Amino acid sequence: MAFTKAAVEELSALHGEPEWLRARRLAAFGVFEGMSLPDTRRNEDWKQVDLKALNLEAYAPFQQPNGAAPAGRLESVGATLYQRGTSPAVASIAADLSQRGVILMPLAAAASAYPELVQRYLFSAVKPERDKFAALHAALFSGGSFLYVPDGVTVEQPLVSQFWSAGPGAAVLPHSLIIAGKGSRFQYVDEFLSNNRDETSLASGSSEIFLEEGADVGYVALQHWSVKTWQFANQRFHLGRDARLQMVDVALGGHLARLRVEAMLEGPGSSANLKGLFFGTGEQAFDFRTLQDHVGPHTTSDLLFKGALRDQAKSVYVGVVRVEAAARGSSSNQANRNLLLSEKAKATSEPILEILNNDILRCSHGATVGPVDPEHLFYLESRGIPRPTAERMLVQGFLGEVLDRIPVAQVRDAVDQELAARID
Amino acid sequence: MALNSESAGKLTHVMADFEIKDLRVSVEGREILKGVSLAVNKGEVHAVMGPNGSGKSTLSHTLMGHPNYKVVGGQVLFKGKDILTLPTEERAKLGMFLALQYPVVVPGITMSNFLRTAINAKRGFDGKDKSKAISVKEFRALLKNEMSVLRMDDSFLSRYVNEGFSGGEKKRAEILQMAVLKPEMAILDETDSGLDIDSIKFVSDAVNKMRGPELGVLIITHYTRVLKFIKPDYVHVLVNGEFVRSGGPELADWLEAKGYSEWVKEPAKAPAALEAK
Repeated sequence: MAFTKAAVEELSALHGEPEWLRARRLAAFGVFEGMSLPDTRRNEDWKQVDLKALNLEAYAPFQQPNGAAPAGRLESVGATLYQRGTSPAVASIAADLSQRGVILMPLAAAASAYPELVQRYLFSAVKPERDKFAALHAALFSGGSFLYVPDGVTVEQPLVSQFWSAGPGAAVLPHSLIIAGKGSRFQYVDEFLSNNRDETSLASGSSEIFLEEGADVGYVALQHWSVKTWQFANQRFHLGRDARLQMVDVALGGHLARLRVEAMLEGPGSSANLKGLFFGTGEQAFDFRTLQDHVGPHTTSDLLFKGALRDQAKSVYVGVVRVEAAARGSSSNQANRNLLLSEKAKATSEPILEILNNDILRCSHGATVGPVDPEHLFYLESRGIPRPTAERMLVQGFLGEVLDRIPVAQVRDAVDQELAARID
Repeated sequence: MALNSESAGKLTHVMADFEIKDLRVSVEGREILKGVSLAVNKGEVHAVMGPNGSGKSTLSHTLMGHPNYKVVGGQVLFKGKDILTLPTEERAKLGMFLALQYPVVVPGITMSNFLRTAINAKRGFDGKDKSKAISVKEFRALLKNEMSVLRMDDSFLSRYVNEGFSGGEKKRAEILQMAVLKPEMAILDETDSGLDIDSIKFVSDAVNKMRGPELGVLIITHYTRVLKFIKPDYVHVLVNGEFVRSGGPELADWLEAKGYSEWVKEPAKAPAALEAK
């Protein structure tokens, strides 16, 4: 079955969704049908993206997976949600969190249980009109998680959602909708995983995160799809007054893994710390588009995307810092560092500054592309450390700066192991 | 003062522990060292002094095998081997050590990890046979002692290698590495440059404490200042890639008074402004 109107209706019925959501899906499907794939020659936002080998017709919109998500891996977490493909998501939450009004539940269920909230926020940040993949996502999103943390509530232990692919040839389109109430504090992790490391798949995920006044949120996304997955993902954060965001994006999987990250610093005094970590091997290609949009005054953003590439792996980074007219006294930093571990690995980096208010404290950016620093190697070797060990230490050290920021020990350790395996 | 430029060479000619023989080195196609010979025995401290551009850094980096320096001729014998044929890590394992003039910042690697890995490499620990690795307790004890001599506190260990270190802290960290790795032949490249007087004292105390029959030292320096704290047994003057004079410690005093004026217009005494720093 291809991407059809009938598939949209079938999926909506399968999830038992309310009529308003079914209507939204169908409207988004109309947008999808009316759009062609992005023009990678003329559309600035899609330049350097190679879509030649992508055939959307080859993917089923959803598929009954042959089993549940391999759950139960995480310890010391406050709440979890597991979903495989379009199967109903399974959530569990600590009793004391429920009592304090924290909600982590399948998005499909939330659409019925909390229609006023979901209706107001869903697709308000990542709109279907943005491009064909965002429209496809809005029409046929597989499900996902809904997280609501009420005003003033602090959650000590991390909250985690895991999304597993359904199987080869199927699209997986998870959505995370997160609402952080005023002064709330928590850490949330999205994990995207493939059952089979070799399966071909299409992934288009969206995360919409709203931080109300004074909210303090840690958001981590770990993308570990198969190396044959086409990923087109969006993350968009809206920050209210004095809200504070600490984000870490980890990209390990994908044939082409495209990720757009947008931090909208709307509330005065809001701040965003945005970190990215990627490691490409084989023929993998990463494509990162980031936006640090200083809308309100006295806003602060600090972005650091770091990655290592070996074999023929490639990465493209395009980062926009926008300081809008009202954003006086704002401060921004943007850095993209790429370590090339082979002759054929390639990275490009392009900073774009759009400054509409000159009354700013700081606006700096920097990019580096190159191999392991020979002076660093010499230094370690001069202390008797053998070259392979020295190289491993330097790559791990390079990535460690971002890795150390992942708040869940188990997730951090899993990433660390995966990185170590890719280095050797 | 008359000086016999032959004396040091003759004294140490018979099978020294560390012997540089007619070493010629080029950088980017230009010959920088034009045939230098020097013999250092364990238990001795030699100072190599010279004006800017004389080839001092080329000498130190070549001895440790830095890839930018191309050996065109000569030998360096240590423990029966021509170390010029060995990769850098093997030279270190054989007992050589270079304290860098400009220690590099290595983000992401803590001093503790760096030191432990280096110690373990020396012990032949390859990540498998745990009995060869230094224990946490032993590591702690080893560092505690050496760090107190250098007036370094524990926080150094959790910091990234040289990141945010002041000039003095970087040089102290170099000497700390030397102290825990216990080399038999140490080359100190401009270890005094950029140091305040307190740091020079701490660094010198640590080096003097290590002096003894098991250690040969080559101090490379522009200025005579550090030699007031670490007394050399021999002094050699390097100008334009050649040793032009060798002698005992009195040669340093002579240089302090006269500078390198016999060869170029440069003082060997640090300007007052630098002394005061």
